[in-house]
Amino acid sequence: MFTIEKPLPRGTEDTAPFWEAALRGELRMQRCSSCGHIRFPPATLCPRCWSETYEWSLLSGKGKVFSWVVVYQSQHPAFNADTPYNVAIVELEEGPRLHTQLVDCSLEEIRLEMPVEVVFEKVRDDVALPKFRPRR
Amino acid sequence: MVELRGKYAIAGVGLSRFGKVPGTSTMGFTLEASKRAVEDAGVPMSEVDGVLVLMPAVMGEQHGWAARVAAYLGLEPSFCTTLDMGGATACGAVQVAMAAIEAGYCSTVLCAFATQNWPQGVPLQLFGSELQLAYGDVGAMCLMGHIKRRQQYEYGLPDELYGRIAVTWRSHAQRHPEAQMRKPMTLEDYFRSRWVVEPLRLFDCCPNTDGGGAIVVTSLERARDLRRPVVRVIGAGQSHSAEMIEPARTAREQWGGTAAARRAYSMAGIVPNDLSCAQIYDAFTPRVVHDLVAYQLAAPEELNGAFANGTFTFGGRLPCNTAGGLLSEGHLSGFGHVREAVRQLRGECGERQLPDAKLCLVTGYGGAPHEAPPTVSYSALVLARDV
Ligand SMILES: [Zn+2]
Repeated sequence: MFTIEKPLPRGTEDTAPFWEAALRGELRMQRCSSCGHIRFPPATLCPRCWSETYEWSLLSGKGKVFSWVVVYQSQHPAFNADTPYNVAIVELEEGPRLHTQLVDCSLEEIRLEMPVEVVFEKVRDDVALPKFRPRR
Repeated sequence: MVELRGKYAIAGVGLSRFGKVPGTSTMGFTLEASKRAVEDAGVPMSEVDGVLVLMPAVMGEQHGWAARVAAYLGLEPSFCTTLDMGGATACGAVQVAMAAIEAGYCSTVLCAFATQNWPQGVPLQLFGSELQLAYGDVGAMCLMGHIKRRQQYEYGLPDELYGRIAVTWRSHAQRHPEAQMRKPMTLEDYFRSRWVVEPLRLFDCCPNTDGGGAIVVTSLERARDLRRPVVRVIGAGQSHSAEMIEPARTAREQWGGTAAARRAYSMAGIVPNDLSCAQIYDAFTPRVVHDLVAYQLAAPEELNGAFANGTFTFGGRLPCNTAGGLLSEGHLSGFGHVREAVRQLRGECGERQLPDAKLCLVTGYGGAPHEAPPTVSYSALVLARDV
């Protein structure tokens, strides 16, 4: 049968370290060496001070659900079979928010501000997606 | 700063055919709407020496799109560029047009847009970044769902409010023969409509619309020589925020258009209470909640009661989206809103004409709501009947 593959991240020089860390089971984001701001999405300079110096800092992986939605009408054929599925924004303890998905809970169990922690879902040999599950 | 208040006017407005119009082209709609707007203004085509066109989103990146439109129209503009603020472009283009005329780059500016949602042979454009697509977070609807979720959480807004918005605008569309969605809608119909991206129901979302729109901007003096009643642009403002990116931006920062509103009102020298009507950018119902609050037209906790008692419909304190809005007139990227505002101020709206329309606010919103993180632009115009 003809199937449409899901669009997986390919990485760029800006984002590759984020995805490589995820493959190792680590959530890392850029911490500005000049002002300490942790930024996301990955970028070559800090949006607060324009410093180009940073380190890929290991984060706690803990956060809370800032928002979530449930996709009933797929917006792309590769996801048709998954509906209904959730798409969430998680706010990390360290501050940044990322677009992700919640796992290990039913749609009915999801609550705003619910405490969550990162898990890494290997979707291909070379790609793991950071997702979040309830902290119990 | 140079004072632009009231020096420029919208002399002409036009829409192409719109709705589900298969077999048509983006260029075709652009030309059709442009001709209608220029004819509405009553200026000879040779007088149009500025061209601003919205980048057609569905077709993907279009190199030199505005110059291409100008060439197809047989124009040789002295100022011409493609603008890319999505639904914020209609208001934003009028603002750019005024500045360009003031600078002496041109004297009469055509602002245009068109969309053909299913161009023949072109596959569906997959919007979004690598930080979201793999999660099935595709298109603008997820962000709009998040916005509704946060509004409801932070202000305790009931689903009923969103239903009342959809139902009110739909009743306006019944007074508008061209509107795409005219079938009467009740609150019950709203609640029965299926989830698309929960918390958005089908009737929280506007339809896909094929069509185009255009606006002609010129000096107040020139406009007064033309045959139409004159509509002056007395206020314009924009702001550009990265909603939901920065953790410091919580509740209050979600009202991202507040700076655009402040700039537009301050240029116009008015307060929100002075307005006779408003056309709010409403591709989705949460946008109406957002702009009514951001533009200081209501407090969040008043909204449900205000919609229930008719504040925002004909006969109410501030009739809004009198043609049905994007939700019911159709998604005309804000060009429908500018046309409706202009026609209300001219007194051309037939059975939906407001009795004494003097001042109308138009808001715009767009950009990259489908990206992770989303970034969007806000724009606004205050239009006034010439007296
Ligand atoms: Zn910095």
